[in-house]
Amino acid sequence: MELVIRGLSKTYPNGVRALDDVDLNIPRGMFGLLGPNGAGKSTLMRTIATLQEPDSGEVLLGSLNVLTQKDEVRRRLGYLPQDFGVYPRISARGMLDHIALLKGFTKSGERKDVVDAMLQRVNLWDVRKKALSGFSGGMRQRFGIAQALIGSPELLIVDEPTAGLDPGERNRFYNLLSEIGENVIVILSTHIVEDVMDLCTSMAIINKGKVLFSGAPEQAIETLAGRIWQRTVTKAELLDIEQRHRVISHKLIAGRPLVHVYSDADPGDGFIAAHPNLEDVFFARIAGTGLSAEAGN
Amino acid sequence: MFLSFLSFELRYFLRGWMVWIFLLVMSAMIFGAVSSDNITIGGGLGNTHRNAPWVIENFYGAASILTLLMTTAFVNNSAIRDFQYNTHQMIFSLPISKNGMFLGRFLGASLVAVIPSLGVSIGSLLGRFAPWADADRFGPVDWAAHFNSIITFAIPNTLFIAAILFGIAALFRSTTISFLSALLLLVAFGVTDSFASDLKNETLAALIDPFGSRAFDLTTKYWTVFERNTRSVGLTGLLLWNRLIWVTTAFAIFGLVLRRISLSERASKKTKPVEADVEKRSGSVALPSRRASWTGNVALAQFLGAFRFELRNLIKTPVFVIILSAAMLNCGASLILTSSEAFGNKTFPVTYRMAQIIQGTLYIFLIAIVTFFAGQLVWRDRDERTDEIQDSLPMRDWLLYTSKLSALLVSIFAILSTTIFVGIAVQAFKGYTRFQVGLYVEEILYRDFTLMIFLAVAAFFFHVISPNKYIGYFAFIGFLLFDALGWAAFDVSTRMVNFASRPSIAYSDFYHFAPDSPGFEWFTAYWALFCCLIAIASIAFYRRGKETAWARRSRVAGQRFQGGLRLATFLAAFAFLATGAWVFYNTKILNTLISPKEQKQRRADYENTYKKYENISQPRITAVEYQIDIFPEKRGVEMRAKQKIRNESTQPISEVHFTVDVQHDTDIRIDGATLASDDKRLYYRIYKLAQPLQPNEERTMAFTVKGEQHGFSNVVERTQFVQNGTFFNNQIAPQIGYQAGGEMTDRNDRRKYGLKEKDLMPALERNCVEHCRNTYLSDSSDWVSVDTVISTSADQMAVAPGSLLKEWNENGRNYYHYKLDKDSMNFYSFMSARYDVVREKWNGIDIEIYLHPEHRWNVPRMIQSVKNSLTYYTKNFGPYYHKQARIIEFPRIATFAQAFPGTMPYSESIGFIADLRDPENIDHVFYIVAHEMGHQWWAHQVVGANMQGATVLSETQAQYSALMVMEKEYGRDLMRKFLEFEADRYLRSRGAERLKERPLEKVEASQGYIHYQKGSLVMYYLKEMIGEDKVNAALHQLIDKFAYAPPPYPTSYELVDRLRAQTPPEYQYLIKDLFEDITLFSNRATNVTARKLADGKYEVTVEADIQKLKADAQGNEVEVPVKDWIEVGAFAKPEKGKKFGKTLYRERLLVDTRHITKTFTVAELPEKAGIDPFHLLVDRTPDDNTRKIDLK
Repeated sequence: MELVIRGLSKTYPNGVRALDDVDLNIPRGMFGLLGPNGAGKSTLMRTIATLQEPDSGEVLLGSLNVLTQKDEVRRRLGYLPQDFGVYPRISARGMLDHIALLKGFTKSGERKDVVDAMLQRVNLWDVRKKALSGFSGGMRQRFGIAQALIGSPELLIVDEPTAGLDPGERNRFYNLLSEIGENVIVILSTHIVEDVMDLCTSMAIINKGKVLFSGAPEQAIETLAGRIWQRTVTKAELLDIEQRHRVISHKLIAGRPLVHVYSDADPGDGFIAAHPNLEDVFFARIAGTGLSAEAGN
Repeated sequence: MFLSFLSFELRYFLRGWMVWIFLLVMSAMIFGAVSSDNITIGGGLGNTHRNAPWVIENFYGAASILTLLMTTAFVNNSAIRDFQYNTHQMIFSLPISKNGMFLGRFLGASLVAVIPSLGVSIGSLLGRFAPWADADRFGPVDWAAHFNSIITFAIPNTLFIAAILFGIAALFRSTTISFLSALLLLVAFGVTDSFASDLKNETLAALIDPFGSRAFDLTTKYWTVFERNTRSVGLTGLLLWNRLIWVTTAFAIFGLVLRRISLSERASKKTKPVEADVEKRSGSVALPSRRASWTGNVALAQFLGAFRFELRNLIKTPVFVIILSAAMLNCGASLILTSSEAFGNKTFPVTYRMAQIIQGTLYIFLIAIVTFFAGQLVWRDRDERTDEIQDSLPMRDWLLYTSKLSALLVSIFAILSTTIFVGIAVQAFKGYTRFQVGLYVEEILYRDFTLMIFLAVAAFFFHVISPNKYIGYFAFIGFLLFDALGWAAFDVSTRMVNFASRPSIAYSDFYHFAPDSPGFEWFTAYWALFCCLIAIASIAFYRRGKETAWARRSRVAGQRFQGGLRLATFLAAFAFLATGAWVFYNTKILNTLISPKEQKQRRADYENTYKKYENISQPRITAVEYQIDIFPEKRGVEMRAKQKIRNESTQPISEVHFTVDVQHDTDIRIDGATLASDDKRLYYRIYKLAQPLQPNEERTMAFTVKGEQHGFSNVVERTQFVQNGTFFNNQIAPQIGYQAGGEMTDRNDRRKYGLKEKDLMPALERNCVEHCRNTYLSDSSDWVSVDTVISTSADQMAVAPGSLLKEWNENGRNYYHYKLDKDSMNFYSFMSARYDVVREKWNGIDIEIYLHPEHRWNVPRMIQSVKNSLTYYTKNFGPYYHKQARIIEFPRIATFAQAFPGTMPYSESIGFIADLRDPENIDHVFYIVAHEMGHQWWAHQVVGANMQGATVLSETQAQYSALMVMEKEYGRDLMRKFLEFEADRYLRSRGAERLKERPLEKVEASQGYIHYQKGSLVMYYLKEMIGEDKVNAALHQLIDKFAYAPPPYPTSYELVDRLRAQTPPEYQYLIKDLFEDITLFSNRATNVTARKLADGKYEVTVEADIQKLKADAQGNEVEVPVKDWIEVGAFAKPEKGKKFGKTLYRERLLVDTRHITKTFTVAELPEKAGIDPFHLLVDRTPDDNTRKIDLK
């Protein structure tokens, strides 16, 4: 099974072009959707999760049309939104039970087994009777993945799941995701580059509603081989460097800016060759640094 | 510090839109109320100017309740703004003083919150300029009233509300809690309201009303129209005390709160943070891989589960719990406490009254719950941000809508069921055991609950189609207001557009709901199907996912509109149209539906077209023979009659005019007459006689009046004819001539329709002959003989006036032949029902009570009252000419008792259900029967000519007669209590007089408060002064001369002159004071002391101020010199459970100074003493006549 997106476009009433003719093929396995804030990731994911109607285009999950056969798709879907709330005065188990029911577990014994096992799996068993509204960010996110995983979805969508989590929680979260196996389509949206590098077998970068790259992470890095150069500069030099080179990123290392520039040949000025990483790809792509022509699928 | 916060606050709000919107809303409301009759705030105004000082102050008082929520909005914003916008950490880390900041903000917000109430002034100042305003009803602008209102109501009330709510907001930092507290304040106001209805608690109730309105009411309750138009109350007396109490209380609360709040950040106490042991068992459990099987009835199981989930969530919500507690408190307390009928008396807690109380006290909360929680439920998932998870779950599109709606409705149903149990428990507790569970179920769980369903479906619909919650609330409330008030403005009266409205009739034990039943059910079906359609629309457009644009939502709605939903839509739409067509056929084609405007127009046209015939000579009826068939099951009647008409004028009569009944078909046959004019719109017919009717010639005419219920109508009509309990009078017969009773009486309506002002009755004249040819009850007959054959269905009994001559059964129907024993007024009733009859005899006269079999409680009192009345009246006034005295119960369609010759119809809802078990209460069953029995002499033997003062001969004397019978049975003390109620009602009603207050001898027939209440006071006082035998002698003479006498009929002068003749010289002034003038007193005991004498007796000294006043027709009172006989007296302490103590001393003094001192000796320890201690005089402030004695 494969998720196929063809020509998906969406413009909001306020004029924001959230999706602009998006084409993607998403195979089984972990798929990373990388993009800066406001790139259209959430719109894309919500559209796949049947929560939003595109202006044009189609989304197919295997033989199912996501836009019209919503109920069929929802039966196969697990969705963890980027930002979700919980009802006051309800326990983790109560809420999970409710969701399990709506996911089709109508027999109470069966439902109880599933819910209890899930609570144990995500380590919320001890607090199952506690009010969800008192959960910490990590616990809440574990609850979120628990509800998404109930009913063994064939399509799992997780939207920026690790925002606000400490490194420990983040690792545990990804361990859980990676456990789901190869037989499921997992779409993970994030703006954290390492997450994709660590987890995903394929990925796409989108910005301003457009797909800038799609393919394997290694393939993305390969496209930059020998074209990324770096140098530590002073703050005073920065402006000058930015004018003379195609700077794709600069970040502070021990208080001094480390500049990455894109150049097909040695740019001089004391720059040395750097090993490109996915972050460079990301910045290079969204900066539109002469690569759009090469960005193939 | 303080000033900078204050000025920041002022600038902040004055720059915002909120205050100006509120001011606009307030101004508009008052503008409407001041300029138009269609919008009312508070009670009717009568003759009071629309912008009178009293009206302005009343509006300001009422506005405090309206502005409560507005004030809450301001102070809540001021108190918790920093927390809402998360600026508190920033602000609170500044070097500021807590008190300066809070006081500054509080005062700033409070000052701004006063602004909306100024809309009262703006609205009332502008009101007169409205194009539809009636300039005649406005007086000059009274600036003092505006000023006084602002300092007594607007500012103190705003400060009071603001102080409390600012404190609450600062403490709890929750908008919800602030608004809930505001609602609780409103409930508290409602609770003091029920206390105030009891006379004894008036002062207390005035003080405990936090808004001061009740103190204002008490201060002004006896104000006349003149006073209302010219006076305003500032911060004085009771009002001052009230204001002081509440403003102090508020500031005390505010001070306490200020001490408690701190500027520091607080940990949220709402939910305890929990931490799970993260690493434990991690990875040791396999991920459950089970998939849902999707077998069986998944949708149903999901619905039930979701419904339970929503219901649990709803009833756990604090707001729900709080509103519900307030509602149950209000309703439960009312169920237990409300029991008063007339004169502070109790009624049995019959089921329909319990249902009424539930409706009156609970439903406003239920509507609030529906309104509030429809919004909460529809928007909650988005508000709590659970929508994305929820909406992507594989549930049906209708699931959220149906589960939420069901949760709301089931909770309402549970509340209603609970109140039924409470009602039954209260009934049992009060020792009433006739539990009508079926009635509870039908009234509350069917009739009312269906209304709640309709409202809930509509509320959901508005929220589903609204872009946000606030617009949803606004739209729904706007819709409710329009539905309740708006249609009248367009003169649309069909219920087919008036959402959720159904023709209904109040329940009666006689017919249950039978008269409204087909209409009610069809309209219920009509609205239920309509609600199905909007429910389907709500499901189709219910928001799922993030899509907000209408084009997209329509596309989604189109996708959902498949299969079952589509089928349901077609079925519902078809059924709705079919039902609508059937309803239309019944209400518009089978029955006519005349709009209120058209009805008024017809009355105006009737007057304009036919008033010219008012005084033409017409024949008079002398005898009538009826054959009446009543068909209870189809609410039908056929009345065939032959009546003798006679020309009693001196001219030949060549035309006979009739006004025929609107709701029945009338056929008139006069030999040799042709129908010359037949106005089918105004129901006026003119018959031309081929042979004119010569003076003193008598002819026979015949008529048939027929009618029955066809299908059902928009409102339940012809309620005289019901399945059980038919009660109609002979006015459905064609009435000879122009009927002035059909004219519009409301002054403003008359002006609107271009009619000139109507003088209600001709002026009183002495020695009148020509103008006294008619009684005030009829202009086409004098004393008439009546013979009736009446039939009804086999299970019912029919009653007509007179003795029952024969009774038989024919064609499966019951027939009765009645005949009047003495020619009487042509004014009587016919009745049919499944009656039980209780019979007794008194000196050969049959006493008969026809009643519903289950209403036996007070029958012995009724019979006793009839007997006592017959005894007293035959002894003191003259003989009784009928051979029977019947009391006949009729259904709850109206609440009155009425006297016809020998028969007294008496409503199911008074008397029959009175609880007379407490001997300290006034036995008003006994009283009403005695009053109606009095009418057998006063109205049915002696009846006034049609001019001012006519009712003094009937109503006032019936009152006097009843008072005498009551005093004989129950003693003086109970009379005191009774007369206190009469005085209170008289004084209160004066202020609402629409025309002119007349002196008693010139009373208009419509001025009940004068001929009943003032009449009681005057006659009882006169009897106290000149003696019962003297009064009765005058009355006996009146009977001797005028009983059953031919015209001219007597005027009130005939009575007043005879009373004057009986009055000793020293009391002659009384006749003028009581009958010819409007006389009031304001007497007051100023100092009352006593000292114990050596012989164990007590010497009492009473000092008192006396003020005697004469009022004009507008209530303008001037003081006149006093030279009156007034009593002083002293009372002992009342025994336990009694209201009045033993009278220790009573002496009548001639008082001719404004201040008196009187010393006397009493044998026992006195408790109270004073002037006019029995309240015999009409006293503007009766409470201060006696004082507690200062024992020296």
